[in-house]
Amino acid sequence: MTVAQRWCIAAWLVFAAASIAVISRTTFTTDISAFLPRSPTPEQQVLVEQLREGVVSRLVLIGIEGALPEALARASKQMAAELRKHEMFVSVDNGDGAGSAGDREFLWRNRYLLSSAVTPERFSAGGLRARLEENLRLLGSPAGTLVRRIVTGDPSGELLHILERFEGQARPATRDGVWFSRDSRRALLLAQTRAAGYNIDAQERAVALVRGAFAQAGAGEMQLLLSGPGVFSVSTRATVRDDALRFSLIATALIAALLLAIYRSPLVLGLGLLPIASGAVAGIAAVSLGFGAVHGITLGFGVTLIGECVDYAIYLFTQAAPGTPPQRALDRIWPTLRLGVATSVCGFSAMLFSGFSGLAQLGLFSIIGLLAAVAVTRWVLPALLPAGFAAPVVATIGPWAMAVVRRAPALRYPLLLGVVLAVAMLAAQKGPLWSDDLTSLSPVPRSDRLLDQQMRRDLGAPDVRFLVVIHAPEEETALQASEAIGETLRKASQAGLLEGFESPADYFPSRRSQRARQAALPAPAELRANLDRALQGLPFRRQVFEPFLKEAATASSMPLIDRRGLQGTRMALRLDALLVKRESDWVAMLPMRNVKDAAGIARDISAPPGARAVLLDLKGESDRLYRTYQGEAQRYSLLGAVAIVLLLLASLRSLHRVFDVLAPLVAAVLVTTGVLALGGNPLSIFHLVGLLLVVAVGSNYALFFDRQAPSGSDRQRTIVSLLFANLTTMIGFGLLAFSTVPVLHDIGVTVGLGAILALAFSAILNRRDEAGGRPDPIAAGS
Amino acid sequence: MISGDSRFARRARTVLSLLLLTAGCCVPAASGAVDAAGWDIKRLMQELGQVKIAKGRFVERRYLAILTAPLESSGTLTYVAPDRLEKHTLAPRSESLVLERGQLTLESSEPKRRRTIRLEDYPVIGVFVESIRSTLAGDLALLNRLYEVALEGDERKWRMVLKPADPKMQEVVSEIRLSGSRNWIGSIEFLEPGGDRSVMTITRDVP
Repeated sequence: MTVAQRWCIAAWLVFAAASIAVISRTTFTTDISAFLPRSPTPEQQVLVEQLREGVVSRLVLIGIEGALPEALARASKQMAAELRKHEMFVSVDNGDGAGSAGDREFLWRNRYLLSSAVTPERFSAGGLRARLEENLRLLGSPAGTLVRRIVTGDPSGELLHILERFEGQARPATRDGVWFSRDSRRALLLAQTRAAGYNIDAQERAVALVRGAFAQAGAGEMQLLLSGPGVFSVSTRATVRDDALRFSLIATALIAALLLAIYRSPLVLGLGLLPIASGAVAGIAAVSLGFGAVHGITLGFGVTLIGECVDYAIYLFTQAAPGTPPQRALDRIWPTLRLGVATSVCGFSAMLFSGFSGLAQLGLFSIIGLLAAVAVTRWVLPALLPAGFAAPVVATIGPWAMAVVRRAPALRYPLLLGVVLAVAMLAAQKGPLWSDDLTSLSPVPRSDRLLDQQMRRDLGAPDVRFLVVIHAPEEETALQASEAIGETLRKASQAGLLEGFESPADYFPSRRSQRARQAALPAPAELRANLDRALQGLPFRRQVFEPFLKEAATASSMPLIDRRGLQGTRMALRLDALLVKRESDWVAMLPMRNVKDAAGIARDISAPPGARAVLLDLKGESDRLYRTYQGEAQRYSLLGAVAIVLLLLASLRSLHRVFDVLAPLVAAVLVTTGVLALGGNPLSIFHLVGLLLVVAVGSNYALFFDRQAPSGSDRQRTIVSLLFANLTTMIGFGLLAFSTVPVLHDIGVTVGLGAILALAFSAILNRRDEAGGRPDPIAAGS
Repeated sequence: MISGDSRFARRARTVLSLLLLTAGCCVPAASGAVDAAGWDIKRLMQELGQVKIAKGRFVERRYLAILTAPLESSGTLTYVAPDRLEKHTLAPRSESLVLERGQLTLESSEPKRRRTIRLEDYPVIGVFVESIRSTLAGDLALLNRLYEVALEGDERKWRMVLKPADPKMQEVVSEIRLSGSRNWIGSIEFLEPGGDRSVMTITRDVP
C-alpha cells in the first residue's frame, strides 16, 4: 500500500465518521410535505397541517364483530372503560353516553350566550307569548317529556334551538346502549389519540393499547377491526419494514452467494459493499446539512437511485486481470466509469433546481451518493483488494458470454419491431399514462380502504372533503368571520347546495355575539312584566317560571364563555380541531357535509374585513399537489436527459457513438414503459424513479459496450462484468416485484425489467466486430 | 351533545305513546259469553289475544303540575294484528304515530316533520313493545316478568295495575292502570314519578 493510498483511506474514514455524526443528529420526516412546493400557498399549508396533525389524523376507528350483539356490546363497554384510563387517548366514544353529562351542563348553563336566536324581540311580551304557545303545543306532542323538564327554566326554547343546530350531525345506530353498524353485526368505537397522526411511534403504542384492551374484553370468536390514518401509517410502516427486510435478506443472500461464487473470497465480497454504503451515508448527511431534515421518500428513492453503485465494485473486481495489480484494471475502466457516473449525475442534477424540496433532496442525495461511491471505488478499493486478485469464473463464462454477444445483433429487427409496438401502445393508450391521484401512492390495500369507508359511514363520521378555511390575525376575528360565513352556509344549505356544516362558533361564539346576546336580554323587572303579559290567558302556572327569570338575570351579566370553560366537555375536542392558533395567525375551519355544489358555495363565500376565507377541497388539493409534483419530476427528468446527451456529445465527440450509447437506453425505456402500460393501470411516481435508475444503470452498460478494449481478454472481462452487474440488479430489484407494497413492487418491476432490457439491447445494437477478439493467452491459461 | 338526555326523554315519551296506542286497540271482534266463576287474568289475556283488527276513538287528558288545566287531545286508534298500530291525533293539531314491524314513524303536519325510529336502536321501547305485543297475544308469562301485575273486579268491570319491574322503566312511569269490561279496554292511565299523569279514554268506533 503506498503512502498516497494510506492517505486516501484515512480521508475516507474521517469522511465516513463525519457523515455518520451528521446523520445521528438528523431528523427524518415521513409526511406529505415532500410533495409541498418550496413556497406553498396557505391552503396547501393548511392541508398539510391537517393531514399531519389535524383531528382527522388522530382518529382510530374500532370495530368488534363475530359474536351476538349482547356480547359485542359488553366487550365494547369493557374496552371503552379500559381505554379511557389511558392518557394516550383524548377521548374514547362508544355511544354509552359517558361524558355527555359535562356537555349537557355546559349547554344548559350557557344557553343564552350560545343560542343564535337570542334577540330583543324574542324576549318581548309578543315574542315570549309565541314561544309559550309553541311550548304548550310541544307538551302534548311526543317531545312533551323533554319540554316539560326544561320549560320552566327555558320558556324561550334556547336549548332546543342549540340542539337543532346539532341535529344534522349524523349519529351511529345504537343497540344495547352502544354504537353498532346498521346490520347490528359490528360494535363500533371511536377513539382520538393525544398524539398527532404523523407521530407513528405514538400511534403504534395507541394501536397496541387497543389490541391489549380487546384481548381482555373480547371473547371466543370475536374479531377486532381497526382503521384510521394512524392505524394505516402504523400497518404500512410494519408492512414496508417487513417486506423490505424480507426481500433485502433474500436478495442479499442470493447476491452474496453469486458474488462469492465469482470472487471466491469473503473479503472481496465485503469490500464490494463499501461504495454503496459510503454513498448512502454521504447522501443522507448531505441532504441533512442542505435541508435540515431528510424525508422518508428521499431515503427510499435515493437508495434505489444509487443502487447503480453496487455495480462499480463488480466492474472493478471482475475486470481485474490475473497476476496484475488491481490499480491496472482500475486505470483501464476508469475513463468509462467516470463517464458513466458523470452521465448519472447529469441526469439527476436537474432535480436539484426543482421547486419541490422532495425532488431537490432526491437530486442532492443521488449526486453526492454517486460521487462518494465512485470516489471510494477509485481511491479506496484498489488499495484494499488483495494483490493479484482475479475472478476465476471469468475464464469459464467468458467464451460463452462472447458467443451470445456475437450472435445478439441478429435480433436487431425484432427489437425494432418491439420498440415500434411499444410506441404504438403508448400512443393508443386511452386513459392517462400517468396517474394523477394521490391515492395511487397509498400503500394501503384496497380492502382496508373499503373497510375504512364502511366504518366511517356506520359511525356517521364521513371523510371530510370540503371545508371553509378562515385565516384571521386574532381568535376573535376568526370567530366573527366563522359566524358571518356560517350565515352564508346556512342559506346555501337551505338552497340545497350542501346538507350541513359545523362551525367553531357553534361551541364558542365570538365575544361580540356573546355580548350582543347579553344585551338582548331585558332587565329583570322588564322581563317579568313581559312574561306576565305573555302568560295572560295561557294555562301555565305563573310561579313556575321563577327559575327562568333568575337565570336570565344571571346570564345578562355572567362572564363570557372562554376556551377554558369548555374543558371537560366533548365539545372542547371539536373546538380544538376547528379553531387552531398558528405562529402568526388563527385558523378556523368549517367542515361541510354532503356538498352538492362546491363552486356555487365558493362564489358566495366572502370573509369580513381582516380575515381571509377559502373553500378547500382536501382531495382535490392533495391530488393537485401530487400532479404538480409528478409533472415537475417528469420535466426535470427530461431536462436531465438533455443534459446527458450534451455530456455524451462533449466527451465522445461523435454523433455516431452518442447514438450507439443512447439507442439501447431509449429502446429499453420505451419498451419497459410499454410493458408497464400494458396492464392498463396508470403509472405512478414510483415507476418514474424506476425508469431513472434504468437510465443510470443502463448508461453504464452502453458505455462499456461502446468502449474500445485493448485486448480480446479485456473485452471478455468487460462483458462478463456487465453480466454479473446485471444479474445482481435483477436479483435485487426483481425480488421487490413480489412485494405487496406498491412502492416496492412498482420500482422492482420497472428496474428488474428495464435493466435486463438495457443490457440485452446494448448487446443487440452493438456494432463492434466481436469476431476479431480472441481470448489472449493470459486469460485462457488461468 | 345533550342527546343523552333528549334521547332518553324522547324514548320515554315514545314508550308512553306506544302504550296509549296499543291500549286502545283491544276492541273486541266478537264477544262470547264467559262463565263468571271461571274468569281470571288468564281468561282476560286469552280474550285480549283474540282481537285481530280494531278501531276506536280516544280522548287523552294530561295533567301536568306546571299547568292549571289539563291538556286535551283526541283522535283515532287502529290495531291490525299482529304488529301494526296507529295513533292519529286530530285535535288540537294533527300528528301521527305509526308502529309497523319494529319501526316507529312519527309525523307532524305543522311544522312538517317526519321521523323514523327503529325499535332495536331503543331497547327500552323494544321491551315495552314486546310486552304489549305479547299481552295482546296472551303471553301472561312475559307480562309477569316485566311488571308486577294486579287484577281486581270482575269480568264486566275489571281494573289491572302494572308496576314496572325494571328500575330504568320506573323512572319513566311508576304505574299503569288499565280498566275495562270483558275484552274491551275502556281507559288507560299513566302515573309518572313526578306526579304528572295522563288519562286516556277509548270509545268503540260505531261502524
